Amino acid sequence: MPRRHRARQEPRTGRRAQRPKDVLHGPRGHRGDAFRCLGCRRDVPVRALGTAHRNHCPYCLTSRHVDGRAPGDRGEECRAPMDALTLAVRDDGEWLLIHRCRACGTLKANRPAGDDHPLALIRLALRPLADPGLAHLTGVVPGT
Amino acid sequence: MSDHLTTDRTDPTTAFDCPSCGTSSAGGPRDHCPQCLHTRHRDSADPCGAPMAPLAVAVHGPGDWRLIHRCTACATLTSAPVRADDHQVALMALAVRPLAQPPFPLGLLGRI
Repeated sequence: MPRRHRARQEPRTGRRAQRPKDVLHGPRGHRGDAFRCLGCRRDVPVRALGTAHRNHCPYCLTSRHVDGRAPGDRGEECRAPMDALTLAVRDDGEWLLIHRCRACGTLKANRPAGDDHPLALIRLALRPLADPGLAHLTGVVPGT
Repeated sequence: MSDHLTTDRTDPTTAFDCPSCGTSSAGGPRDHCPQCLHTRHRDSADPCGAPMAPLAVAVHGPGDWRLIHRCTACATLTSAPVRADDHQVALMALAVRPLAQPPFPLGLLGRI
């Protein structure tokens, strides 16, 4: 359909001025290619290496309780932040991130993405070893 | 030892029959097998009764080690606190497993 009005010209360059974006891609007008991390408030692009469903922040590993049973089904209404709790190893040697919902305590296993921060992952893997929980439990307190 | 002898191993509130290794353990109500750390899917919103395998060790707070279990039938995840009489080598093996099988060379961490 032809335009009814001539596009406004830029007085300096003589070219047509860039129109404001009026196509809304995401909910509530969000552009839909990034999300705001609930943990560190960083802007995280949705596309990630090695996974089709980016479900956690690559910097602080915080996630959000939105998926039900299947990854990406968005069938959960809790929507509270989920903290990265620990790491597990699958039988084929791949790491799994275990997330725990801050509101309802649900546990979820997620694949780490290719651009997750390695130091954040290592920090999580070292957490049980740095904690004296087992030593206190068994009566072997380090340094005594 | 006397505790093992005096406890009734047929009482479901104090005895635990492991669904994986078959060990019968007494000594109070327990959530998982102290030998192989397996349990049965009973305590969650949708218990199916299938065996659950230990998946990882998590630290919920300072000094609070917890075992993460995954159901072998429905893949539900649950967590339970570890006990003083759990097999310590089995617990440590679970805790160091991510570091023993890193997905990237640990030697490259110095360049980050």
